[in-house]
Amino acid sequence: MAYLELENVRKEFNNSVAVENFNLKVERGEFVSFLGPSGCGKTTTLRMIAGFELPTSGAITINGVDMTDTPPNKRNVGMVFQAYALFPNMTVADNIGFGLKIAKRPADEIKKRVKEMLDLIHLPVKGDSYPYQLSGGQQQRVALARALAFQPQVLLLDEPLSALDAKIRVELRSEIRRIQQQLGITTIYVTHDQEEALSISDRIVVMSAGKMEQVGTPFEIYNFPQTSFTASFVGQLNLLPVTVSDAEGRRCAFNGRALAVGQPIRFANGASVRLALRPEELNLGGASGDSQRNELTGAVESVNFLGSVVRIRVDVGGATISIDLFNERQLVLPKAGEQVTVNFPAESCWVME
Amino acid sequence: MRRFPLWSWFWFLLGTLYFFLPLLGTLNFSLRIRRDVLSLDAYNNALTDPEFIRTFVFSNQMAVMTILVSILLIVPTAYWAHLRLPQVRPALDFITLMPFVIPAIILVFGLIKTYSRPLTVFGLPVVPPLTNTVFSTNILLIFGYTVLCLPYMYRSVDNGLRAMDVRTLTEAAQILGAGWPTILFRIILPNLRTALLSGALLTFSIVVGELTLATFLARPAFGPYLALLGNHKPYEPFALSLISFALTWVAMGIIQFVTRGSGQGQLAGGH
Repeated sequence: MAYLELENVRKEFNNSVAVENFNLKVERGEFVSFLGPSGCGKTTTLRMIAGFELPTSGAITINGVDMTDTPPNKRNVGMVFQAYALFPNMTVADNIGFGLKIAKRPADEIKKRVKEMLDLIHLPVKGDSYPYQLSGGQQQRVALARALAFQPQVLLLDEPLSALDAKIRVELRSEIRRIQQQLGITTIYVTHDQEEALSISDRIVVMSAGKMEQVGTPFEIYNFPQTSFTASFVGQLNLLPVTVSDAEGRRCAFNGRALAVGQPIRFANGASVRLALRPEELNLGGASGDSQRNELTGAVESVNFLGSVVRIRVDVGGATISIDLFNERQLVLPKAGEQVTVNFPAESCWVME
Repeated sequence: MRRFPLWSWFWFLLGTLYFFLPLLGTLNFSLRIRRDVLSLDAYNNALTDPEFIRTFVFSNQMAVMTILVSILLIVPTAYWAHLRLPQVRPALDFITLMPFVIPAIILVFGLIKTYSRPLTVFGLPVVPPLTNTVFSTNILLIFGYTVLCLPYMYRSVDNGLRAMDVRTLTEAAQILGAGWPTILFRIILPNLRTALLSGALLTFSIVVGELTLATFLARPAFGPYLALLGNHKPYEPFALSLISFALTWVAMGIIQFVTRGSGQGQLAGGH
């Protein structure tokens, strides 16, 4: 039996559907991310798990207990908010111990637990500080410690890193994952940042317009997207307008050039579809007669240096595709306007509507 | 080398003179009760007058009660409006500004006309006439003062609530197991400390000096006493004015002391 289960959950606000037909089973100790653009319903779903919103229909159970109508203060669920939400009038130690005080735990136990939590978040000497004396990253660590101190059944994180700068974000997400694995706590993490979701989750729920698009491991979501939304939202994607020329033989035509497709084609011959391929699957140069590789030619539009990756945009006649190359010292980059040939393996591309 | 900020100092000194010269004039006048000699006799006369003590204590009692009633009325209302009913906030803003446009004389005649007879529901008396006894007239006075001070107290509390993320703080406390009383008394009120102090100070200043309501409800308040004193004695009213100023500054000093060291995001608000 799943530890956290959402069954046919639906939420309406003023007759507009925010979340629809949401079904999810989360195992104990699992780290699941809700990933999607703003307004896709991921935060609403999280808030229903927390008890801040009541589902219009459906059920939410935690550890076998129906929590659908239970108020938030009776759910034993921890939550970390985007805006930290530390109590400004309390010290860090008081913030962390707040949940335990509410639960009327003995003072000694609270003190011991607060110390454990401060050690866990690597801020052992900050107990007497006030929130405003801490950096954003430190405040969010305290918020995490506060959410964990009273040993909740489930930990909910609502875009906890959005307000932080890029470097702190990367550091803190690793720390969140470390702590989650150390404590083995069932965690739901809401984010619109695909990199964040891919890097720390056991499973990802991709959401769009209130619906689940796909549920899978980060590897499955990235490499085997089941819907065009997932494919385009997670990672960069090139979409070439093509015509199915031989569905059975997995062939498409682009500007009169035949392209081999690795995945089965579920469209009829003559259908206008799109060929999807990731920028990192493309290479500069010809296919050298390899029948399992496709070849396109075009003019370089731009070359952008992105640190570890160089992104080259090439106009292949009717469409512009991006090519991501690893930044290697011996890399010879083309110039804008230069004619180039690009190739990609048939296995790496698939056809979608 | 950094240039001397001449114009900044010029405007600063001009502002200081504008503010302090009238006070100096008042101080000088209040010390001249005896011909050609500076003395504190006016202060002594004012402070030892039994009527001063009686009216001052009465007005202070009324001010404290008004502050308590205002806090009990406004804090939960403004909090709930911020948390659950943001759409009613414009209406609340409008209602709480009404005392600015309705003169106190209109308010007091309205109160007297409404509450000097029994309040009835379907012909049955539910509230006796409030102007019949001293105690009930005092209650009427306190509620009248509460209305009069609504703009100041509500603005202060509203500003304080705007300065903190009420909804997220409430939810953070809720998810940690807190119920409504805990949230209100341990999270919201402590973070409204400056706002409440500010609102309370303004309420206190207004109530202690208020003339119209107390006069028409015939209560022995400090405002009517000051007006009466001004009609009969030349120096003592000036001495009392300066004492009032001093009390206000002490109150402001207390606010500064209480809120010292509070950083960004903490204890924000005020009027």
